[in-house]
Amino acid sequence: MKANSLALRLFVTAAAWVLVVLPIAGWIIYTNHRIQVEETFNDQIDRFLPTVIDIAEEKGARGPVPPSDQVKSFRRASAHSAWDLVWQFKPLDGKPLDGKPAEIMRARPLGDKTLPLPREHGVEPQEDETYWADLPDADGQLMRVRETIHQFGMGADAQRYSVAVAGRLDDLKATVAAFRSQLIYSLALAGVGLLAATLFQVRFGLFPLTRMERALADIRSGKATRLEGDLPSEIKPLQHEINALLKSNQEIVERARTHVGNLAHALKTPLAVLINEARRDPSPLAQKVAEQADTMTSQVNLYLDRARMAARIGVIGRVTEVGPVAESLVRALDRIYRDKELAYSLDCPDAVRFLGERQDLEEMLGNLLDNASKWARSRVHVVAAAKSADQGNGAGPGWLEIRVEDDGPGLTPEQLAEPITRGRRLDETKPGSGLGHSIVSDLAYSYNGRFELARADGGGLSARLTLPLAI
Amino acid sequence: MRVLIVEDDRDLNRQLVSALTDAGYAVDSAFDGEEGHFLGETEPYDVVILDTGLPKMDGIRVLEQWRRADRKMPVIILTARDRWSDKVAGMDAGADDYVSKPFHMQELLARVRAQMRRASGHARSDIECGPLRLDTKTARVTLNGQPIKLTSHEYRLLAYLLHHNERVVSRTELVEHLYEQDFDRDSNTIEVFIGRLRKKIPSDMIKTIRGLGYRLSQAGDEG
Repeated sequence: MKANSLALRLFVTAAAWVLVVLPIAGWIIYTNHRIQVEETFNDQIDRFLPTVIDIAEEKGARGPVPPSDQVKSFRRASAHSAWDLVWQFKPLDGKPLDGKPAEIMRARPLGDKTLPLPREHGVEPQEDETYWADLPDADGQLMRVRETIHQFGMGADAQRYSVAVAGRLDDLKATVAAFRSQLIYSLALAGVGLLAATLFQVRFGLFPLTRMERALADIRSGKATRLEGDLPSEIKPLQHEINALLKSNQEIVERARTHVGNLAHALKTPLAVLINEARRDPSPLAQKVAEQADTMTSQVNLYLDRARMAARIGVIGRVTEVGPVAESLVRALDRIYRDKELAYSLDCPDAVRFLGERQDLEEMLGNLLDNASKWARSRVHVVAAAKSADQGNGAGPGWLEIRVEDDGPGLTPEQLAEPITRGRRLDETKPGSGLGHSIVSDLAYSYNGRFELARADGGGLSARLTLPLAI
Repeated sequence: MRVLIVEDDRDLNRQLVSALTDAGYAVDSAFDGEEGHFLGETEPYDVVILDTGLPKMDGIRVLEQWRRADRKMPVIILTARDRWSDKVAGMDAGADDYVSKPFHMQELLARVRAQMRRASGHARSDIECGPLRLDTKTARVTLNGQPIKLTSHEYRLLAYLLHHNERVVSRTELVEHLYEQDFDRDSNTIEVFIGRLRKKIPSDMIKTIRGLGYRLSQAGDEG
């Protein structure tokens, strides 16, 4: 996900919500649960005390019966509880029971420890004459103890006992802690699940945008001319708008080209008339007119070329196959230079395609082939090949190299070293406007390409064009 | 040698007619596509110069219709539209050459001569027959290296015979190829000019083939 993206925005907001809400919800659930568990804990201690007394009274008429008889009943009573509650009877009056001195009776888990008693620690009784307190026992374990004074037996046998029940606070804490860790674990799992679901939702929800991005890249690279595909209703209007924009862009360019062509026709015929008329007349005025008309012609050509190039800038993704263009040009030139009986050879694989306008490729290749045909003695060779990106000047998917070679006289090293400028003619003896190479050069540069002249293997001229390749 | 010019610009048309007439051709001209098409279809021209942007009927369509009707005369397209796509379209429609406006008249004349030679099967710019030699570039005829003075009609007749030397050329063919459309076509005039030519070159070079026409051949050849 990129730093500034819809996907990141959606994901971050969803994630923030999850990260804030889940801990708060967890804390509320945990607090409520803790309070409730503690209430239950207290409630069970509370109810255990009368139960213990009831059972003791039921078994023994005069006093608490010996523990051996009662343990099972107590254990049954305490088994209702989630915690192991303990009990203790402590005689207070020192009277013997069944002829033996009365002893402290207690639940077996206590062993020989006695429960710490709130009454003995100076705790005030509650309204129902019971005492509540959290006290440490002999081992230092904190116990929640409830104690009351109860008289067992009648008459002379009657004896008061301190009856106490208790639960370990550590047990309560352990219960709460177990719940807490379970809660944290579940909420963390839920959080991770939610984040994963959000990520999926963002990816899935925004997938059409990714698709559109790819489709636009295809248009730029020339693989498509329209934004195709069944896109969701929210971005369908955008798709329509983009397609309409592409269409109107193309129409504007077409119109500009038509106007440029019309202007060319409109200006060139009068210029032809002026030049021909003036050349027939030896007077200084006529010579001046002829000279100026020639200048006008080259100016018209210069600005028409510029207009054509300007009309093309911003046109997105046109792809032109090199092979058919080269074939049609060779067919035309073979007719024009029929008398020379030149052997044309073409080596243009089908897959080699130019990322640009057909007209521009025709213009570049046409001028090069025309030049080669003009100078060649017997043969003209055209080779087109794709080159990998690193061999070109870096940008784009790759480069296309077109070489046009002839077996004519070629150029001298000095001529080859000269820059290709507009209007420079390398040889004045062959007819032509002299603009050929500079148009090729201008067009190639307008595509960030290159145009170079070199010596061919056989001694003729080798013109090499490097242009963007379409894949 | 007859040339048809189809060009809608009056001035340019006039310049072309005068330059080509000066060069020794019989020239017809048309100012729109329909008229040009009609002339090209009905008259035998040796070369046609055809503008592409014509009123009534586009030049490329005119050319296509001629080719469809099996009219094979050489056609040079003359146009301001000088993009290669236009050139390819013109050549594919059946043109033989292409000249962009504005052009130099000398260049156009050179192209016309090239088409004439090509049509008659001569590869070089001068045509020889025995002691006779025609330089198509300068429109001059020499006999054993000595220039001969010819009137324009004599030149046309001799140039046509030289282009088609060693072949029997009928009177009708000569009339059709040597004179403009509105010329008074009396085939007797051909005989008059043949008679004059026989006085300027070895007389046995032009033979009369009874009932068929004339043949220019090297002197002493009895074939």
